[in-house]
Amino acid sequence: MRLPLVFAILVAPATTASAVHGQTLREYSSTRQDHGESRLSTTIEYAGGTLSLVPAPSGILYALRLTYDADRFAPVAQYDPSVPQLTLGTETLPRTGGVRVSHRGTPPAATIALGTRADLDLDIELGAAEATLELGGIRVSRIKVQTGASKTVVHFAEANPIRCSGAEFSAGAAELIVTGLGYSRCGEVDFNGGVGKVTLDFSGRWSGQMHLDAGIAVGELVLRLPRRAGIKLELDKFLASFAPAGLVRSADGRTWVSAGFENAPQQLVVELETAFGGVTVEWID
Amino acid sequence: MNTSRALRLVPAIAVIALLAWPALLRADEPSDVLRDVWTRIQQIAPGQDPSPNRPHPQAVQTSADAPSIPLRDLSHPISLERSIRTAASVPPAELRLAIPNGQARLGDFSIGSDQAVTGDLLVLEGTADVYGRLNGNLVSWGGDIVLHPGAVIDGDVLALAGQVRLEGGEVTGEVRTLSAPAAEQSPAAPTSPMRHIFRSLAGTTGVFLTLLLAGFGLVLFGKAPLEVTSDTVRSSFSRAFIVGLLGQILVLPTFGMLVVGLVLTVAGILLIPFVVIVFALLLVAGIVGGALAVAHAMGESITRRQMAQGRALSPNSYRYLMVGLACIFAPWLVWTLFGWAPVAGELMLGAAILISWLLASVGFGAALLSRGGLKEQFAGRFIPPEMLTDEFLWATPRFGVPAAKRPDSSSTRPGIRPPDGTR
Repeated sequence: MRLPLVFAILVAPATTASAVHGQTLREYSSTRQDHGESRLSTTIEYAGGTLSLVPAPSGILYALRLTYDADRFAPVAQYDPSVPQLTLGTETLPRTGGVRVSHRGTPPAATIALGTRADLDLDIELGAAEATLELGGIRVSRIKVQTGASKTVVHFAEANPIRCSGAEFSAGAAELIVTGLGYSRCGEVDFNGGVGKVTLDFSGRWSGQMHLDAGIAVGELVLRLPRRAGIKLELDKFLASFAPAGLVRSADGRTWVSAGFENAPQQLVVELETAFGGVTVEWID
Repeated sequence: MNTSRALRLVPAIAVIALLAWPALLRADEPSDVLRDVWTRIQQIAPGQDPSPNRPHPQAVQTSADAPSIPLRDLSHPISLERSIRTAASVPPAELRLAIPNGQARLGDFSIGSDQAVTGDLLVLEGTADVYGRLNGNLVSWGGDIVLHPGAVIDGDVLALAGQVRLEGGEVTGEVRTLSAPAAEQSPAAPTSPMRHIFRSLAGTTGVFLTLLLAGFGLVLFGKAPLEVTSDTVRSSFSRAFIVGLLGQILVLPTFGMLVVGLVLTVAGILLIPFVVIVFALLLVAGIVGGALAVAHAMGESITRRQMAQGRALSPNSYRYLMVGLACIFAPWLVWTLFGWAPVAGELMLGAAILISWLLASVGFGAALLSRGGLKEQFAGRFIPPEMLTDEFLWATPRFGVPAAKRPDSSSTRPGIRPPDGTR
């Protein structure tokens, strides 16, 4: 008689737990048609989950499609036409209740499409998110990407139609891959990294001189540089490893230059500061 | 009823139980359970359309005391949906709504190609077809919004539990959709007592069983350290609490110093990942093991007290752990049952947290004092275990007159001189 009772006591909490762990999945979308806006200051704040950013089809200024757990997150879509200023993303709701049993639930999944006619000043802040940002074809006048504990891929598949004043990337304990930076047409690229693996790929074409100012604390930085470009790398390191991969060390001991740097039509000047990180140079043919 | 007939009823009872189970979890009242079960049966019955019939198209009446639903700002669709849901929870005949600078419609509604409507528009439980012009915001609840070629909406559009179909036309503002919740649960809705009890009970029971299993594992594979830590809790309770408190304060600085020290040695940098993992594991082992030792000590005290009162019990570590953990979880059980009550619930939760923290601190301190159960200095064990033989105890009384007559162990025995000849 005791055995069924013990079994019931052991099984009952498990069945109860599985039943009450339901979540409230919702879908939210927000779209605005293009009415000839020439510029748009855009902020994307995304707490966690997966995010895909793509260029919008013609006629659309922006579109957000979001699937999220309404118990944990809330959608954010605010547009102020007077600036004009756009804020998209999710925010994490404050937790309610006391003992919270394991309740991971489904993370939010969002797709954001940004119009290709307005000049965009992009400010992207990512939490524990896995993001793919495809910026090819979008008119980026400035971009700032901050990632927390996430994996972020930023890709310029085609040349930026306008000149970009600057690109700023910062990564915490994250993996960040930026490809096609040569297409970004950003004269100044800043990178600040904590603990993580970062790849900065300068494939693409640009004219004149690009400048990269990078700092990484404890992490791995991979610089993928076009072989045809002239590279000058000023390195300030402490207990960090560096693989020059064909760059020639100058007399001052902390500058590394590629052959034919002075006469190269495309130049990249890198100022790099690292403490315990490793820096690797890879060449792109 | 014979056995075969009874057996035939088993599948039917199982199906009803399966249908009733989710309803039971959601319901506040028994009638809710019945209604929910009946709805589910209707939904799975063949030939039945689960979607309710659309109401007859009509204007929603307004009155002085009708709930006001402003549609000027649609940037907060969740709160707007909540307001509409609350207002529309009455039968259609009793529905009254006030839309500032606008109107509300029940059922399907269309704006003709030669029509221009001015003001905000709310369409409940119907499709909004727009062929003409709307100078204002358009919101649908439980229906779609269809913009046909030539339609113009000078404002925002929001479809709650519906879709926006842009077959043409122009919207000067924002187009938003918000699907119906997959489960009827609003983030801001107050949690019912039943739901709170079920949810909290599941969590509390889960933690209890996990700790119990961990404790049983500890008894099986590390009984001696557990008993030493448990004895340290009993013999040096205050000391263990103070050490536990200091330990909590010093955990982070210790960790920081360890990492910095390794970094400064340069070669030690490679060890940092391993040190981080080992430190974290030791910390968890110290806290969990300490808490289990506290439970063991409590259970042992209670069991021995019961035995002293004449109850025939089996004194073993498994019982000690179960009894002790039950005592530790008692405040959580009280919170589980009555935590839904306003104010009192928060107080019970606070008390449960405080008691648990206190006991965990004692356990952590005892684990530190006993070096993870390896050192008996504070465990109240004055006689080494190897000396606890019957012969030793018989020949060496520890208490009473014979013990008092025994010479001090620090002094030398009579007749034996030290080797250096002093004395």
